[in-house]
Amino acid sequence: MCPPKHFGVLYEINPWMHREVAVDVERAHDQWEGLVTLLRDAGAEVEVIDPHPDWPDMVFTANAGIVNGRQFVPSHFRNPERQGETPIFAAWFDEREYAVDHLPDELDHEGAGDALPFGNVLVSGYRWRSDAASHAVLSKLTNVAVRSVELVDERYYHLDITFCPLDDRRALVVPDAWDSYGQRVMRELVPEAIVLDADEAAMFSANSVVVGTNVVMPSCSARVGRQLEAWGFDVAVADVGEFLKAGGGVRCLTLALDVTLGA
Amino acid sequence: MATETIEVEGHIIDSLILAKVLDTILASGADYQILDVAIGRTNTDTSRAVLQVDAIDDDALNALVEVLQVHGANRVGSRDVALVACDQDGVLPAGFYSTTNLPTEVRVDGRWLPVVNPEMDCALVVAGDIVRTVPMHRVTIGDLVVVGGDGVRVHAPSKRGGLNAFEFMNSEVSSEKPKALLVARVAERLKECRARGGKILAVCGPAVVHTGAAPDIARLVRDGWIDVLFAGNGFATHDIESNVLGTSLGVSVDVGLPVEHGHSNHLRVINEVRRWGSIEAAVQGEFITGGVMYECVKRPIPFVLGGSIRDDGPLPDVHRDVVAAADAMRESIAGVEVALMLASTLHGIATGNILPAGVETFCVDINHAVLTKLADRGSHQALGIVTDVGLFTRDLCTALG
Repeated sequence: MCPPKHFGVLYEINPWMHREVAVDVERAHDQWEGLVTLLRDAGAEVEVIDPHPDWPDMVFTANAGIVNGRQFVPSHFRNPERQGETPIFAAWFDEREYAVDHLPDELDHEGAGDALPFGNVLVSGYRWRSDAASHAVLSKLTNVAVRSVELVDERYYHLDITFCPLDDRRALVVPDAWDSYGQRVMRELVPEAIVLDADEAAMFSANSVVVGTNVVMPSCSARVGRQLEAWGFDVAVADVGEFLKAGGGVRCLTLALDVTLGA
Repeated sequence: MATETIEVEGHIIDSLILAKVLDTILASGADYQILDVAIGRTNTDTSRAVLQVDAIDDDALNALVEVLQVHGANRVGSRDVALVACDQDGVLPAGFYSTTNLPTEVRVDGRWLPVVNPEMDCALVVAGDIVRTVPMHRVTIGDLVVVGGDGVRVHAPSKRGGLNAFEFMNSEVSSEKPKALLVARVAERLKECRARGGKILAVCGPAVVHTGAAPDIARLVRDGWIDVLFAGNGFATHDIESNVLGTSLGVSVDVGLPVEHGHSNHLRVINEVRRWGSIEAAVQGEFITGGVMYECVKRPIPFVLGGSIRDDGPLPDVHRDVVAAADAMRESIAGVEVALMLASTLHGIATGNILPAGVETFCVDINHAVLTKLADRGSHQALGIVTDVGLFTRDLCTALG
């Protein structure tokens, strides 16, 4: 995770961002600390990367890249406003002796924000931030099968706002954010899904982090909470309202390091 | 109609990307052919599909390709050609693209330009919007030559309308096919060619004269069935010899027997034509009063006589520089749509080398090997007819009426 020392809505690169909406920096910091506490309580260990004054969106570490065991594939950001993050994240992983494998320059992919493992495949979104053509390269770099899903609603510009794997069989899903082919692929892939309604999706309920049987969510409706509990999950809601102003929730603020793809 | 080859790679089957790409093509009103699909062998292997997309025009195609790019499908060979300037006359840059005789296009500044004059074993030279094949010896310093294979696409031979008439002959060479039927079909093709304003090329070997077919060829020239003639010193010499002295290589063309001192007849004829200075002058001076060369001068039609190392004389019209001969042939083939190669091995193959694949080519020879040679050297469009050229020509003349 990356502390929100330099966080703010300084530009607009998704429909949630409005520069006239001020971020309460102190509040953002408190919310981030609160999330760290919740994640630790859920059983996670949290590692922190130093923030950089030039790159306010570094707080959304989900977009740093893709972790696969001791391999790291840094993101290739579409927007220049975020492209400077890539060398910083790559250096962090390099220092920790990860094998850092880069995507070709001409292909965009925004890391774990657009790629989530489910079962033995990697589900990856494309259109707004990631190129479909990057998926074949990613598959070859990480030796994992990819399921490509087209994102059709610009509000849901990353896969991780539309899909939250819970375990090998279950997930939170926002099918309306996918095209009909993507919906069919995901129906085949996910045996048991909680389909989020429009309000739940807009509250970033899918942008959640799962640690064991704990689900840390930016918001959770009573209906979704009941279903999760029925499946044996414990739900914790983290207030990340300041970050939602920039179009990011709980998941966006984290990058899972304990991931081995295809396992 | 505009065509583009695209490829898409990834887990395109399980992700339904291939289905989406195909559906998108059809929904746009375009059409596709799947040229190749390589399915991944394991769960993690990616699959790859290569598609030919046919849209109604360039605009529709470009719009469609843009949409398909979103789904990861990209143009194949979508780069422009690489061009290198020649730094020496008659020498190509290393890595030059070597041509086929098939219709070819070259991508320059994002646009596909057709090659004006497809010819095998040449280089491609780009000058502005014009792309031409140029043989090695004719490039000059500064010519921009295509190197590598990027940005070059070659179209597979398409069946021309009506060519189906020949489809019953699956084998390229037809020693065991009904000759009367073949002759009738060749006659039909010649008539169709003449009706649409195409030119007919004849390439003749000396056996045309030996077998007594020269008067028939002369008639075909006179009646406008042949627009260009390629031959060597031998054919022209024996044609003139048979008209001036009544023999072909010393053998009487009427009674088929050698005449006394006939072995030197062709030399005497060559000698006299050399005295006249040219075949045309010999015709105008009424030394030559009939035959194929006579008709060529009279009508007139262009002829190219290419020399060889074993020529007697040669006749004054014969090109003694083989490279110049090939260039003269190149300059004469514009507009040729049908080629008849009659009992000619060397000139037939030389002609095959410079003809675009789109020229319908009929190769008549008693020797099966000539026809095989022609096909082996890349003239796959040639239809071989194994028969005696004298009989063939007589029947062809009859069929043409």
